[in-house]
Amino acid sequence: MVLRTLETMGPQHGFGLAKRIQQISAGVLDLNQGTLYPALLRLEQRGWIWSRWGASEKNRRAKFYELTRAGRKQIGRETDEWERTVALMARFLRAAE
Amino acid sequence: MRTLWKRLIAVFAQRRSDRELSEEVEVHLEMRAAELREEGLDPDAARAAARREFGGVEQMKEVYRDRRGVPWMEGLAKDARYGMRGLRRNPAFALAAGLSLALGIGANTAIFSFINTLMLRMLPVEKPEQLVNLYRTGGWGKGYASYPLYLEFRKHTDLFAGVFARSGAGKVRFDAGHSNSVEYAEREHVSGNYFEVLGVRPALGRLFHDEDNRTPQGHPLVVLSYDFWRNRLALDPAILGRVLMVDEEPMTVIGVAAPGFHGLEVESHADLWVPAMMFRGQIMQPGMHWVWIMARRRPEIPRGRLQAAANTIMQQYLMSVYGGQRASAFGRFALEQKIEVRDAGVGISMLREAFGKPLGILMAAVGLVLLIACANVANLLIARGAARRREVAMRFSLGATRWRLVRQWLIESLLLALLGSVLGLAFAIWGERYMLLFLPQGAGEGFDVAPDGTVLAFTLGISILSAVLFGLAPALRATSLDPAAALKDGGSQPGRGARAGFRKALVVVQVALSVVLVVAAGLFAHSLADLRSIDPGFVAQNVVTFSLDYPRAWKDADKVKHRERLLARLGEVPGIVSNSYGMPGPYQSGDASASIRVPGSARTAKEGVEISEQAIGPAYFATIGIRPLRGREFSQGDLRSTRKVAVVNEAFVREFLPGAPDPIGRILSFDDSKAEGGEPAYIVGLVRDILHDGLKTRAKSTVYVPLRENPFNFDPMLLVRAQLPPASLLPAVRRVLSRIDPEVALVEPRTLRARVDDSIFVERMIATLSGFFGALALLLAAIGIYGVMAYAVARRTGEIGLRIALGAAPARIEWMVLRDGLLLIALGVAIGLPLSLAAGRVSASLLYGIKPNDPSTFGLTIAMLVAIGILAAFLPARRAAAIEPNEALRHE
Repeated sequence: MVLRTLETMGPQHGFGLAKRIQQISAGVLDLNQGTLYPALLRLEQRGWIWSRWGASEKNRRAKFYELTRAGRKQIGRETDEWERTVALMARFLRAAE
Repeated sequence: MRTLWKRLIAVFAQRRSDRELSEEVEVHLEMRAAELREEGLDPDAARAAARREFGGVEQMKEVYRDRRGVPWMEGLAKDARYGMRGLRRNPAFALAAGLSLALGIGANTAIFSFINTLMLRMLPVEKPEQLVNLYRTGGWGKGYASYPLYLEFRKHTDLFAGVFARSGAGKVRFDAGHSNSVEYAEREHVSGNYFEVLGVRPALGRLFHDEDNRTPQGHPLVVLSYDFWRNRLALDPAILGRVLMVDEEPMTVIGVAAPGFHGLEVESHADLWVPAMMFRGQIMQPGMHWVWIMARRRPEIPRGRLQAAANTIMQQYLMSVYGGQRASAFGRFALEQKIEVRDAGVGISMLREAFGKPLGILMAAVGLVLLIACANVANLLIARGAARRREVAMRFSLGATRWRLVRQWLIESLLLALLGSVLGLAFAIWGERYMLLFLPQGAGEGFDVAPDGTVLAFTLGISILSAVLFGLAPALRATSLDPAAALKDGGSQPGRGARAGFRKALVVVQVALSVVLVVAAGLFAHSLADLRSIDPGFVAQNVVTFSLDYPRAWKDADKVKHRERLLARLGEVPGIVSNSYGMPGPYQSGDASASIRVPGSARTAKEGVEISEQAIGPAYFATIGIRPLRGREFSQGDLRSTRKVAVVNEAFVREFLPGAPDPIGRILSFDDSKAEGGEPAYIVGLVRDILHDGLKTRAKSTVYVPLRENPFNFDPMLLVRAQLPPASLLPAVRRVLSRIDPEVALVEPRTLRARVDDSIFVERMIATLSGFFGALALLLAAIGIYGVMAYAVARRTGEIGLRIALGAAPARIEWMVLRDGLLLIALGVAIGLPLSLAAGRVSASLLYGIKPNDPSTFGLTIAMLVAIGILAAFLPARRAAAIEPNEALRHE
C-alpha cells in the first residue's frame, strides 16, 4: 500500500503518505497515523524504500521516502501474489455457492 | 541479511536516530496542525486534534525502537555502556583488575607468539602440510646431507611428488654497485626444482627450473626475495637482467619470488637464491654434507611406509658408497647414518629442538599465572558484588530477570578482560623483545614474533575465557539474594558463610598454584646456578672473539700473512694482553675430529680412534687464560717446523695413556692405517680439560695441533685478551684492521663470555622468566590473601570491637586473624606440594645437576612463600588489633 502510493506519487514525506492513504481508502482504513512510521522503518530495512531529509512544500525540513529499484520489483511481486490470492479466493467462493 | 546489517548499524547510532524520529513526528504533527488551522481551528485545538489523529506518540516510538535494532544486541550495547560507566566510577578497581589480567594475558600472549612462530605458523607455500624433511642423523652432524644423496632420493617419484635440495642461508658479500662499504646478503643454494616443488610463484620475471641447474659453475643466475628487492633495491623495476655481484661473482637477476616467501627456515631468511650447481666445492662428493633434502610427499602414502622406504633407500645408497670400507672405523661410522622423515610444513628451525620443550613449560607456567590473576579478579568482583547488593536488589524489584542481571555482570567482566588484553598486548610486545635478547646472536635475526592473526585470536580467546572464569561465579553469587531482605538491611551487611567461604577457597587455589610456580622457579634458578658454577676450563672474562671475512681472490697464504700481521699489530695496542686463533675455537659451532693411533696404547692397538681436534695458534692457552699443566704451548717455530707436534688434554691421557702422568715426549699419529701409526707427532704439552662445545658437555679427549694448512677452507676464530672489558677494545681492533686492509671485514665480534652465555640460553631464559612468573604469582597471591583478610576484618569490626571491649588483648586479636590467614596458606601449600612434585618431574629433562624434588629448593621456596603470605595477613591482623571498641560498637 505504502509502496504503491510512493510509486504513484513519487518521493513523499510521512504526513503526505498518511494523508494519501487515508484519501484512497476513503476512510475505510482509519488507522492511527503514527502506525505508519514503524511500517516505513521495516520497508527501509528491507531495502525497498530509502529516505533522505529534504525541504517540504512549506520549506520545512522533512524526511522524504522514495522507492528503490528493489521496491519497484517488490510491488510487481506483491501485486501478482495478491491477484493470485484474490483469484483463488474468488474461485473458492464460487465453488462454495 | 541486509535487514540484520541495518539493525546492527542502528544499535550504534541509537541516539541520533531517536532524535530524527522525534523530529519526523514533530514535522508530521506540525503539518496536520497547519492544515487544521487553515480549516479554521485555533492553534491549540489544531495541535491537539493532530495529536489525536496520530495516536500515542511514545507508544509508536517504542514499537519503532524495538523494530529498529536487534533488541538483544541493543541490550548488550546498553549493558556495555552501563558497565563502562561503572568501571569509570571505580577507577581503582578497574585498574587493579585490569592490571592483574594484563599481566596474565600479556604473559600468555608473549609465550604463545613464540610457540606460534616456532611450531605453528605454516610456511607460505602450496600445501605446506605435505612437505617433509629427509633429516640425516649419525655421523658428521645432523640434518645436512650430500648432493649425491639428494639425487638418489629424487629418483623415487613413486614416494614423493618432488624432492629438492637447499643449502640453508649463508652470509656472503653482495654488491649492487652503489655502495663503497662491504655489504652482505643471505644467499641460499637450491636445486632447480626448488620453487616448482614448493609452488612458489614469481612476483617478477621467472624462477629456476631444472635447466638452470645442470653444469657446475655454468648458471650465474640469481632469484631475489621480495623483501630484499624492496628493502635493498628499492623495488627497482629494471632489476631483471641486471648483473649483481654475489659472493664477488657476477650473477644475472632472472626473477623475484612472491612476497612473503623467505625460504624455509623459521629464524633465518634467505635474501637471494642461486642454483646449487654454483656451489664452489666438490658438489658430487658423498662426504660433503651441505644441503638439506626436502620433499613433497604423496598424500596417499602413509607415514610408516614412507619412513621404511627411506630407510631402505638410505641403506642401499650407503652400501654402494661405503660398502668397500666396511672394515674400517671410518666405514662403520659412515654406515651408521640414517634418514628420518620429518614433517616440515612449519619450516626448519635450529632452535625448535632446544627450545620447544622449554616453551611448553613456560606456556604452562603462564597459564597458571593467568588462573591466579583470574582468581584475584574474581575475588575483587565478589567484594564489589557485596557492595552492590542494594543496586541488584533494586533492579530485581523493578522487574529485571536474573538472567538479565547475570548478563550485565558478565558484560562488565568481558569489558575488564578486554581492557586487560589491550594492556596485555602491549606488555606482550615488550616481553617478546626481552625474550628475543636471550636467543644466541644471529639466531634471532629473522625470528618474527610480531603478533599475527593467530596470536590475536588466541589473545581474544583467552580473554573471553578468563572473563567467564572470573566473572561467572561472582555474577551468580551477586544475583542470588532475597531483594526484600537486601533492601531492608540497606546493603551494608553482605551475607556471611558461603560467600566468605568461596573467597577463601579462591585464595587457597591461588596459594597452591603459586607454590607450583615458585618451586619451579626455584628449581630452574638452582639449576642455572649449578651450570654457571661449572668451570669451563678457561677464563672467559675480558676475551673478545671474532672471525674475518676476506675477499674471495685471496689465497690461503695471503690470509695467513694478513692474520700474522694483524696479530702482531694488535699485540702493540695498549690494553691487549695476548692474542691468538683457533679452529673451531671455543663455543663456536663446528666440530673437527681426527682418527689417531697412539703407539703403546692398548686403546688404539686394534684400530684408530676418533677424537676431537683443535687447530690453534701460538699463545692460544695464554689468551684463554690458562697455562699448560706440563710442557709448553706452541711457538711460532712450531708453525714452520716440519716436525709434527701436539698438545693433549687430561682426558686424552686418561683414555690413551692411563698410568702415565707425564705424556710429554710420547707420540701419536694421525695416520691410523697401521697399529703403530705412521708419521709421528710429538706431544709437547699437557693442558687441563676445556669444555669447548658447551657447559653441559663432558670433557672429550682432544688433541691440539698447530694451525698450518687449512684443508677445509674454514677460517679460524681470532681471540684477543685484554686487561679491561673488551667491548672498549673493539674500535681499536677495527681501526687496526682497516689500516692493514680495508677489504677485510670483521665478522661476529663477541666476547667469549657472551658465547658461553649463548650456549646456555635456554637455561638462562627459562630461569629468568620462570623467576618472573613466580614472583608475579606470589604478588598476586599476596594481594589475594590481603584482600580476603582485610575484608574479613572489616566485616567483623563490630565483633572484634566487642571482644576488645570485653578485655581481649590486642595480641590475641592479632593471632585470631593471623590464624585464619595461616590456615589458608597451609591449605594452599598442602595442595600445591604434590602438584609441584609432578611439575618438577615433567621438567626434569631441563634441569641440570639437581633432582626435580631437590629438598633444599623446595624448603627454601616454600619458606619464602609462607613468609610473604604471613606478611600479607599480618597487615589486616594489625588493623584488627587496633580497632577502637567505642568506634566499632557505635557503628553497629
